Amino acid sequence: MDHTKGKLGFREFLAIIIITFGTKLTDNTPTGLFNKVGSAAWITIILMCLLAIIPIYLLTKVITAYQDQNLVDIIYHLLGKYVGFFVIFVLWLTETYSIVLSSSMYTDIIETMYFVRTPTLYIYIILIGVAAYGAKKGLEFIGSTAWITLVGLNLALFVVLVLTFYLGRLSYLFPILGNGIGEIIKEGASNASIFGEFLYLGFIVTSLRSNNVYRKGIWTGFLYVSFIFILSLIAYIILFDYVSIVHLNYPFHESIRYIQLGFLTNVESLFLPFWLVASFIRFSFYLYISALLFGALFKINQFKYLVPSIAILIIFLGLIPEAPVFSLINFREKLVYISTPIFYFLPLLLWLMAKRKGVFKK
Amino acid sequence: MEKMRVKQFFNKLIKEEHPPFEKAAKEDDLLKKKQIDSSLAKNMEIFKEIYYVPNNCDVNIRDIEIGGTKKMAAVLSISSISNIKIIEELIIRPLLSNDNESKVIEKLLSQQVRKAQVIEDILKEINNGNTALFVDGEPNAYIINTSNFQGRSVEKAENEVVVKGPKESFNEQAITNISLIRKKIRDENLIVESTTISKRAKNELYLLYIKDIANEELLTTIRNKINSLDVDSIQNLSVLEQYIEDNIYSLFPTILYTERPDRAGEFLEDGFIVLIMDNSPDALILPATFWSFFHNAEDHYLRFLFGNFIRILRLLALFITLFISAIYIAITNYHVEMIPPDLLLAISSTREIVPFPPLVEILMLEIAFELIREGGLRVPKPIGPTIGIVGALILGQAAVQANLVSPLVVIIVALGGLSSFAIGDTNLNYTIRLMRFPFLISAGVFGLYGLTALFTIGLFYMTSIKSFGVPYLAPMTPNDSTAKDTIFRRLLKNELYRPGYLKPKDIEKKAGE
Repeated sequence: MDHTKGKLGFREFLAIIIITFGTKLTDNTPTGLFNKVGSAAWITIILMCLLAIIPIYLLTKVITAYQDQNLVDIIYHLLGKYVGFFVIFVLWLTETYSIVLSSSMYTDIIETMYFVRTPTLYIYIILIGVAAYGAKKGLEFIGSTAWITLVGLNLALFVVLVLTFYLGRLSYLFPILGNGIGEIIKEGASNASIFGEFLYLGFIVTSLRSNNVYRKGIWTGFLYVSFIFILSLIAYIILFDYVSIVHLNYPFHESIRYIQLGFLTNVESLFLPFWLVASFIRFSFYLYISALLFGALFKINQFKYLVPSIAILIIFLGLIPEAPVFSLINFREKLVYISTPIFYFLPLLLWLMAKRKGVFKK
Repeated sequence: MEKMRVKQFFNKLIKEEHPPFEKAAKEDDLLKKKQIDSSLAKNMEIFKEIYYVPNNCDVNIRDIEIGGTKKMAAVLSISSISNIKIIEELIIRPLLSNDNESKVIEKLLSQQVRKAQVIEDILKEINNGNTALFVDGEPNAYIINTSNFQGRSVEKAENEVVVKGPKESFNEQAITNISLIRKKIRDENLIVESTTISKRAKNELYLLYIKDIANEELLTTIRNKINSLDVDSIQNLSVLEQYIEDNIYSLFPTILYTERPDRAGEFLEDGFIVLIMDNSPDALILPATFWSFFHNAEDHYLRFLFGNFIRILRLLALFITLFISAIYIAITNYHVEMIPPDLLLAISSTREIVPFPPLVEILMLEIAFELIREGGLRVPKPIGPTIGIVGALILGQAAVQANLVSPLVVIIVALGGLSSFAIGDTNLNYTIRLMRFPFLISAGVFGLYGLTALFTIGLFYMTSIKSFGVPYLAPMTPNDSTAKDTIFRRLLKNELYRPGYLKPKDIEKKAGE
């Protein structure tokens, strides 16, 4: 009876984008920026967004030129069998590596900020276990869950932001250019892979109701995510000032420890569930993508059955780093440096090839 | 596959040796497929044997001689389910007092008469309370409608109570129920199909739908499902529900069960399909989404704001029932810093003398509450009030005084328990009540982390349920911009469309024009 046939609509797609990218501002992604550019982190984000528009635009153009083909088919079609395989393999590798890193980081957040006495392994198992359950169920249900929870999650985020703005001092925004224009441009250009995962959204384009949903979803999501990113970076800086924020690994969680809600002086546990729901959804989407790419590489049609094995692999890999607070930041930086060129050049390459093969003329 | 094999192995292992059981004899069925004879004596012998007359005391056979034609005849009926007066006045008397030789039987009787030849068909009619008239020399029986089953009259709805709106509810007679629905929808397109769904008891099921709205594919799915049943007896809809639902083991119900004809009518007009049966003071509505369980008839009878107010209350009640005890456990065990210091001191001072950990304390009281509830439900009416007093007194006051539980826990459990009553639907009520326990345990083991993890799993699961192909959370997700009646209701003039997830033949309700 379901005439949507399990395809994602605009709402679900948008919800996935907002939740997977929005959660990034709650982990240590902002920390890296604050370290390099000081109080100008939010300007860097604006620059990043401007820079990210080009690859996203090119990619969207290429993808929407095809009908009923996802990025895997498009890459194979444009780059050929061998190069295509290599590109997808690299994408899969960076994706899985980033899941390992970020899940390890999220486990660390939960452990250091909320459950100090709980063993890491159990926290990790639950985090990835729930995500794997969602990924195993399938994309349409990840999307539906994301959409149902979206309103609540955003509400929680905005409550946090409003309270932070209420407590913060706007004068902390200065020096407005932080460590200087040079740093801003350098960091803005080399960190653009914060938006790099927009690439991966191309892989689910066949699960959307139409190409139009894809185009609308990508741009709306991009705008909204940029907006909340800028807003929260400003919020962090006016709450902590640029000197102390450098020492905070997880500014979001420090903020919710700092703020008060009326007579409730410690509200971090109040916001924890919202953040957790978002994280579970984020990781189930990542796991799904990882399984999808792996399935595409080795021609496994029922790729959902790969999810449990990938999940277990991720748990074991993610447990390896000791002192994650320090090591993860380094690992993440390396990942960013590797994946940023991919994010810039792959769409350009695809677009050029598509132009040469005359895809747009049809 | 492996699981099945292991199961088979264990089943074989524990199987007991026993002498073979009897199964239904084939000869009986063969006999019933035959046509009746033209000899009255032979026919009567067959039917007497089938009905085990004269041991079977309410089966009546009257031998008469038809006036005028001087033919012998017999009238067969079951007196407990047929109207004796009608049989006497409209069948036997006209036959006896006739003096015209040429008149045929149909003309003699003022009632509508049909003919039947096969024994099985005649039996079915008699079992339904009708009367069979056998005439010597004729190879068929005349069937006259005389059925009169005993039942109660139309009464007020007891489980789905509304303050504003119609009060009548279904009763145990299918015909009355259909009449109640027809009273609401005077439309020639309202179709009532009937099928026999069980082998021995021959239970009749009525399938109601509106021809130019309900989706054909959905109808076929449901018909196939019903026709594929192979059971001796299905007493009523509550049993049928379990035969035809999609997820038997799931916590979530997928078929709506209502005792209100107005609700059934409302769903019919939206393109849903309604099942009605004898012996069931209710109707089954399918497919059902989560929202149909969450909604209540009164939501639409109350004015827009008031209707939404009770929706908010119900949502709140749902969350309180599900989470309040679990959150208490999570906070007192793992997130103590969250509680304002004064409250924390108050809690700890009341907990000081309680010897159990909070999880045990809550579990004890929750189980006690469920026991009171179940006990109170089953208790005979005259002693009911006593139980209520004992329950409230003993378990509330005395348990606190005996230092078994702290007063705060009593408040929490009582609040959760009372809130659960705001969820009117029986099925959803059980779902919520049962789900509390996993949430409690998860909160006890992992605090808010475990609670949220289980909640997310629940959401993933809920979005993946389907009821006859309809996603459980439609129209919230997946959305198709048609019906928007989910958590909040719209203004009636803005409810322009029927739910698109049913793919109705006519999507527009034309309310806005």
